[in-house]
Amino acid sequence: MSRLSNRTLVFYILAAVGIALLVLSTSGFLAPVEGVMNQAARPFLITFSGIGRQAGNIATSLKELRTLRSTNRQLQTIVDTLTIDNLRLTEVETENQRLRELLRFAQLNPIYDVRGGQVVARVINKGPSNYLNSITIDLGSDHGIEAGMPVVTERGLVGRILKVGPRTSSVLLITDPSSGVQAMIQRSRELGVVNGQAGELPVMDYIPQGGDVTAGDVVITSGLGGNFPKNLVIGQVVEVNQKDYDMFQQGILRPTVDFDRLEFVLVITNFQPLPGQTDDPEPVG
Amino acid sequence: MTIETGAPKTITGHGPNPFIIAVLVMLVAALVQATLVSRIRFLGACPNLILVMVVSWALLKGVLTALPIAFVAGLFFDLLAGLPLGVSSLGLMATTFLAGLGTRRVFASNVLWPAFIVALATPVYAFFVLTVLQFTGLKVDWAEMAVQVVAPELVLNVLLTLVVYPTMRGVMQVRH
Repeated sequence: MSRLSNRTLVFYILAAVGIALLVLSTSGFLAPVEGVMNQAARPFLITFSGIGRQAGNIATSLKELRTLRSTNRQLQTIVDTLTIDNLRLTEVETENQRLRELLRFAQLNPIYDVRGGQVVARVINKGPSNYLNSITIDLGSDHGIEAGMPVVTERGLVGRILKVGPRTSSVLLITDPSSGVQAMIQRSRELGVVNGQAGELPVMDYIPQGGDVTAGDVVITSGLGGNFPKNLVIGQVVEVNQKDYDMFQQGILRPTVDFDRLEFVLVITNFQPLPGQTDDPEPVG
Repeated sequence: MTIETGAPKTITGHGPNPFIIAVLVMLVAALVQATLVSRIRFLGACPNLILVMVVSWALLKGVLTALPIAFVAGLFFDLLAGLPLGVSSLGLMATTFLAGLGTRRVFASNVLWPAFIVALATPVYAFFVLTVLQFTGLKVDWAEMAVQVVAPELVLNVLLTLVVYPTMRGVMQVRH
């Protein structure tokens, strides 16, 4: 008869508890507890994030100091040129004023397909795990946030709500390999799917052979699948991979959103899937 | 089943409970990981301070002491990372057991052995997390993850061990 060592026994007990927690957590039973814990951690996260941001700024400043002198010389030249341009622009301003009034009309009658409200959320935590590209925001179910809601900034699409607690939520970024967004090339209306890539820029897959796509093209959401509103900017094509023997072309994208510097995001809270389309929060991909 | 005598004794003497101190240390480490360490990026990955600390703890104090710490640290990490609760605990406990293989071989001044154990522990931990994520319905490309995430994380974790392990050893010696 063999005897279990202390550490094997402890391991079995803790592993059993861990598996039980895992099952309860994935089935959503622990959401209230996780919410309370996240709520408790929130002030610390905000404080530590502030420190991290400051440290990042200092590191960036030190890096920039090296190039500051040469940049200063270049800027002086630019200032001279701009002084002349400024005189010309004063005249253009008058014309611009009239155009603004026309633009205001366009803003009041948007063709943008965001038909719901938007709430501003603060990013309190950038996903510390290498295996899930996510951020945590300071809004949760108490604020009407639900899983699957699109998250954007003024620069473009960020991702979608993955997990919701009472006061915080996780956002799955479009750069995560498990993320897929139905997209199209703005210029040529070619369709495809933007997929995240581990450690690399996201790609737009499934562009038909012969489809019109070139470097520099802007990629937007197509609205197909109903998971994201139409016409949200995703990024810009920086490289096209086209091989004659492949069924599809692939475009490598640089997202317009700077995911390293996210501070505030917009959650589209009452975006409704288009009729006849799925409301499954898991995007096609 | 193997018969073992258990791990070395934990910190003894008067003062606060060593387990409570360890829990608080891991809580701070989890916060630091979530907010500061996650900003350190190399080829798209960031080091895992929690993993390095747990393995170091197991090597310095024994598996029996490190197992509950790994469990609690995993829960903290999951809460902050938005991962299903328990996944990191299981992964970290597995790496703790791995560290137990080398507990008796560690020499006081040798930091290469912990670095080697961390290099082994990183893919073990990744395997646990990715398996669970796949079970929860997320798409996981194993080959891509191994090359693009686990490999750079392994390098960073090994480098981090060269700093963290001697620091933890020094602190524990001072407490003695």
